[in-house]
Amino acid sequence: MTAVVFPVTETQQEPSEHGRIPGNKGIWVGICCEFLEFLVLFIVYFVARAHFPESFEQGAERLSRLSGTVITLLMVTSSFFIACSVVTMRAGQSRRSLYWLLAGLVVALGYPVAKYFEIQWNLAQGINGESGIFFTVYYYLTFNHLVHTIWGILGILWVLARHLAGGYSAEDYGGLEALASYWHATDMIWLIIFPFFYVLV
Amino acid sequence: MTHTTRAPDNALSPLLVTWLALVVLTLLSLMLSQWLHGAAWLHVLVAAIVWIKGTLIARRFIESERAHPFIRNVLRGFIAFTPIALVLTAFYGPQFARWTTL
Repeated sequence: MTAVVFPVTETQQEPSEHGRIPGNKGIWVGICCEFLEFLVLFIVYFVARAHFPESFEQGAERLSRLSGTVITLLMVTSSFFIACSVVTMRAGQSRRSLYWLLAGLVVALGYPVAKYFEIQWNLAQGINGESGIFFTVYYYLTFNHLVHTIWGILGILWVLARHLAGGYSAEDYGGLEALASYWHATDMIWLIIFPFFYVLV
Repeated sequence: MTHTTRAPDNALSPLLVTWLALVVLTLLSLMLSQWLHGAAWLHVLVAAIVWIKGTLIARRFIESERAHPFIRNVLRGFIAFTPIALVLTAFYGPQFARWTTL
């Protein structure tokens, strides 16, 4: 069995022989738990799809593809902005980093707004959680993702407050990078969910 | 095996290129959905796109290639799971359904 050896020090900005930890160890425990939770949900999706292939092919036709696409573009764009915030902070450009983070927050806030309009659209089409197996799985997976996104938005607000208070520097930006890692992981999960419900017809 | 890690990048252009690639791949998957409506090959192409998008985020945004091997492997495993499952359920869906029947 191979032992997992993490570097002992808390500051992870300098690369070591084992590689660096983006952000901090705590956030990666959280991200691993998030991955595990969604892996279970993905298995539920694949089992349901294997049992009811027609329901899944027809169900995807009834959802708003525009909503799914808008959410995807919002997620990848906010992820890009937050990655820029980390890179500019690393380069010592604190003010630019702050602006990128703010832009990431504004775009991220578009997600719950788009989701609200999507649910309204669904209800107007008579689609709810009891409309069939496809929609039950769809609501369960996408609401779960929405919850994780809201945690991420709260995290962005916290990091933004610390950023405004001068809590980060080119030498110490672990908190900002930890938030960025969580947000990228949440973005990655959405990029998997998107084809499940909006592309595979 | 000795793994040498480089210092993290400070350039924004690779991030911009990654973002553009993610947008293009998203739009491509929608177009493929229209063109290959109902075909099993759609699953294979979508699986490839999911893998590429996940890998782009891991490598360019999270900088997984410079990360601790445990993190790198967790990301690789998570990204690989869905494409493999998509292809398997596309071609072996009925067998998978039989195995998972209570």
